[in-house]
Amino acid sequence: MIRKFAPFVVFMGLILFLSCPSSTNAATPPDPTEQLRPFMDRIVSILTDPELMGDENCIQRRDKVMKVASERFDFDEMSKRVLGKEWRKLNDDEKKHFVALFTKLLEHAYIGKLEDYSKQKVVFKGQRIKNNRAQVMTDVVDKDVVISVSYILLLDSSVWKVYDIVVEGVSLVRNYMEQFKGILRKNGYAILLKQVEDKVSELEQGIGKPCPVDISEKKDA
Amino acid sequence: MMLRVVLYIFIVTFSLGLGNLWLPTPVLGADEAVDFLSDDFYSEDAESYLFNDPLEPVNRIVFIFNDTLFIWVMEPVATFYSNVVPGDLRGCFDSFFRNLQEPVRFVNTLLQGRFSDSLDVLGRFVINSTLGIYGLADAAGRDFGIAPIEATLGETLENWGVGDGFYLVIPLFGPSTFREITGDVVDAMGMTPYYSWTDDLWVASTIYVGKETNKLSLHLGEYEEWTKLLFDPYVSFRNAYFQYRRTARDRSRGAEYRLKAIEDVSPAE
Repeated sequence: MIRKFAPFVVFMGLILFLSCPSSTNAATPPDPTEQLRPFMDRIVSILTDPELMGDENCIQRRDKVMKVASERFDFDEMSKRVLGKEWRKLNDDEKKHFVALFTKLLEHAYIGKLEDYSKQKVVFKGQRIKNNRAQVMTDVVDKDVVISVSYILLLDSSVWKVYDIVVEGVSLVRNYMEQFKGILRKNGYAILLKQVEDKVSELEQGIGKPCPVDISEKKDA
Repeated sequence: MMLRVVLYIFIVTFSLGLGNLWLPTPVLGADEAVDFLSDDFYSEDAESYLFNDPLEPVNRIVFIFNDTLFIWVMEPVATFYSNVVPGDLRGCFDSFFRNLQEPVRFVNTLLQGRFSDSLDVLGRFVINSTLGIYGLADAAGRDFGIAPIEATLGETLENWGVGDGFYLVIPLFGPSTFREITGDVVDAMGMTPYYSWTDDLWVASTIYVGKETNKLSLHLGEYEEWTKLLFDPYVSFRNAYFQYRRTARDRSRGAEYRLKAIEDVSPAE
């Protein structure tokens, strides 16, 4: 069970990067895989850029990745979905606040981990389109281990944006939604917000360290 | 002797129908695959994720117990082990244990009527036991492109209409349900060869711990990486368990391939 989650982290980031803008014909929906692929390449190129290599460039590298990611990740849609019915009760400022926090959470949680995974191979397996949504299926191959990762996308004026990542059948959004639902029911929105704020500041403390701990050596072992 | 007794207790309990007391048969039809592009998937009361957790307070205690044990005992042991034994060798041990379980999977694919999977499992077992040298290498996967196949008694029982019963967190084992753990125990004790080599519970436990330590040594650090991002790890693992199992079963039934590649494509705007 545990190992299914690690790649999650990775891919989330990867996906973020995938989505560099590409011009498309407005009449027919663009091809989701064709949009995702260059985005992935772009992430890898940041991660393997010699000028950005090394621990001392860690924060700069992460910022770059995050900047590209925000173009292709639909953090609004993700936040809306993880909150479920609660979302509709929030006013615009509250929504904005939550989106900013949740984006931070994803940033610290996932983007920092991308580098360990940049060496893995991604195989595009196929795609499904339903109205303005699409699922792009990939396999992440790391030595003998194959992990299936799907990106769930929403079409936003000719740009496919990721709003969920499904690793080995486990949807990230659905998983967070389930956790939040319990907290909302028991303690209400104010407490949930506080917990998210605490978590984010906890993760931000970690960023003060020179760089995320390199776990690649353990993975190679 | 001890093992047999435990086994019989499980079978008898099961045949009494306890597994069905708490939850009826699966809520979604066997042909209906999880569709991530459907709004139902994200609806808060999506039926596919109905589950029963009447023992939540107890389960939470076991969850914390497992978590503590994992971080303070199992992972340090596995870390030490991984420093002593080279990674390639640990990969071989993992394949070895997996290969010994292929006969169990073979029987379960037959019981589920997945005959082409049965052939694949059989093929894997024959190739890996010979060319793969007692299963130490996955020659079938690497050289013949036969992907690993999963099939458990829990899945067989599900196909036969037996409900999950209720969610259970098992000490030293993790998330399961009444039906699944029953199936796993029968699979392990009844049919997996290395547990029937001995009647001694200690020997069987040692094999189990050795096998799991080896597996863990291949995934060090991943558990903490994941859990530190969670708000309620208990709920997260419960949800992930049901999601993962559902998709895995869709796959083994071929259901996910029946989802249409393109539906109602509307213009971009």
